[in-house]
Amino acid sequence: MFGIQTRDVAEDFNSWRRTLRNTPTVSMPMNNHNIMYNTGKSLFNVHLMSVKFEDLYGFMVEGNVDDVNVLNEVRERIREQGRVWWALEASKGANWYLQPKISSNEGVISVTSLKLSVLTNTITLRRLIRKGVPPVLRPKIWLSVSGAAKKRSTVPETYYDELIRATEGKTTPATRQIDHDLPRTFPCHPWLNSDKGQASLRRVLVGYSFRDSEVGYCQGLNYVAALLLLVMKTEEDAFWMLAVLLENVLVSDCYTDTLSGCHVEQRVFKDLLAKKCPRIAAHLEAMGFDVSLVATEWFLCLFSKSLPSETTLRVWDILFNEGANVLFRVALAIFKMREDDLLRIQHIGDVIDILQTTTHHLYDPDELLTFAFDKIGSMPTNTITKERKKQETVVLAELDQRTRRLSSLKMDG
Amino acid sequence: MAATAGGNKIRNAKLVLLGDVGAGKSSLVLRFVKGQFVEFQESTIGAAFFSQTLAVNDETVKFEIWDTAGQERYHSLAPMYYRGAAAAIVVYDITNAASFTRAKKWVQELQAQGNSNTIVALAGNKADLLDTRQVSADEAKAYAQENGLFFMETSAKTATNVNDVFYEIAKKLLQGQQVQNPQGGMVLNQRPPERMVRGGGEECCRIL
Repeated sequence: MFGIQTRDVAEDFNSWRRTLRNTPTVSMPMNNHNIMYNTGKSLFNVHLMSVKFEDLYGFMVEGNVDDVNVLNEVRERIREQGRVWWALEASKGANWYLQPKISSNEGVISVTSLKLSVLTNTITLRRLIRKGVPPVLRPKIWLSVSGAAKKRSTVPETYYDELIRATEGKTTPATRQIDHDLPRTFPCHPWLNSDKGQASLRRVLVGYSFRDSEVGYCQGLNYVAALLLLVMKTEEDAFWMLAVLLENVLVSDCYTDTLSGCHVEQRVFKDLLAKKCPRIAAHLEAMGFDVSLVATEWFLCLFSKSLPSETTLRVWDILFNEGANVLFRVALAIFKMREDDLLRIQHIGDVIDILQTTTHHLYDPDELLTFAFDKIGSMPTNTITKERKKQETVVLAELDQRTRRLSSLKMDG
Repeated sequence: MAATAGGNKIRNAKLVLLGDVGAGKSSLVLRFVKGQFVEFQESTIGAAFFSQTLAVNDETVKFEIWDTAGQERYHSLAPMYYRGAAAAIVVYDITNAASFTRAKKWVQELQAQGNSNTIVALAGNKADLLDTRQVSADEAKAYAQENGLFFMETSAKTATNVNDVFYEIAKKLLQGQQVQNPQGGMVLNQRPPERMVRGGGEECCRIL
């Protein structure tokens, strides 16, 4: 059974959230048992020594000593960024960031100054969010800027509780798949690996599968919802973030039966790579390497399976405030930051190694986001929207053709 | 692409794993590549890539392995992974009859859409769970024979037959003298006549 209390997952987090609140140093196991030496040339290079440590959101990860140092710097930067947010709160008033759009019934202030303050706040907020939302403010900011709070306000307050109650004891193909995936979702995170964590994740995923039967449950959403739970702290907030993400933030049909939205995004991405990184695109094409081989997972899991947690969440800060186009910028940046290496190699396996190593060690979110925003150039929204429309027609036709080919096959068989 | 290293010929071969969700595709790969088994393998999204080399006599095969996601809706992504593959392992779970049905569909699709030279192996995984078996070895073997597949029951958990599947594929690849061209398709050098290889015992195979 579950009550409000069990669904407020915040209490469970206390054991591992100390990393966020008190920002202690990373726990570095220093006994021989836990230290693994890399094989190969750099056997005695201490910087490449493999260590296990807890990252900012409680994931037990493996990296090298440099990663640990970078993570400590990132922690310090988060604290500094927090001070910037508190200072603004002091000057602009508490929760100024929650109402960037002024409602029409505030007749006291003149229209001109109203618009100006809205504009200033929107610009300030955008600049601030790109530099990172402090973890403690993420739930509030995300609910507001993504439109999740507004979405929730259109239904009765009991919506989530009733939805969950309605799903109790029901078995569907979606619930079967969810149950199968629960123990396979970030088992490297102690809370997600616990019964309580998995029960929370189950309710969010099952609840959503009943809200939208067309999506039901798609593998990949388990990782997205798990990370949302870790950030939002309560199941209900995580649920609404998942809802706004699938229904408003991302292009439609990313996770429905043929993943057509995902196919569309992949094609738009390939087109952008050819425009923004023409040398890489040409080189990979000559090797017979389809960038979707790696990028599909990036887009379906919104990088949560590839990038370290805080780096992923910095991307999500922007995703919820500015929309899905940031995913293209980030994906392009990952290729762009390794352009020289990628142009040198000749084997498909080496491309994957480079990209995986890069994403795995991207503990510094600013390194990635600087590339994404300063080195990629302009990417007008309407150009991307047009490209999406164009690709959608092609994708739907191809998927339809494929379905018909396969069903004729089954009839012959 | 054929290269030489220390006199050894190295052949790159793209290999794809297909099969129902939870059949144990990732576990088979993990066992083969790292010699490990974990009870709860993270679910694969899209596909995961691994590489592993195998020496067969004086030749070396370097497998470029694509381990694909099993959920039905990921089906539409599969062609990207099996396109140009030298070999495919279609995996089912011997304790789950539905996964065997799904495996047959994959075989059918590979035969119709894939490269006709692709070597297809059928692997009945979780062979250690005999108490809950739903698919008999005879049934799977008969199906494999009918469709010209190479068949083995495997257990990623106990490591039974896992390396053997890959080893047999490597042997067949070398026997077929197939090399992968840089565009990802297959080039067949000195195409041998279609033949049955090592028809006896537990296995049967034909180059499709």
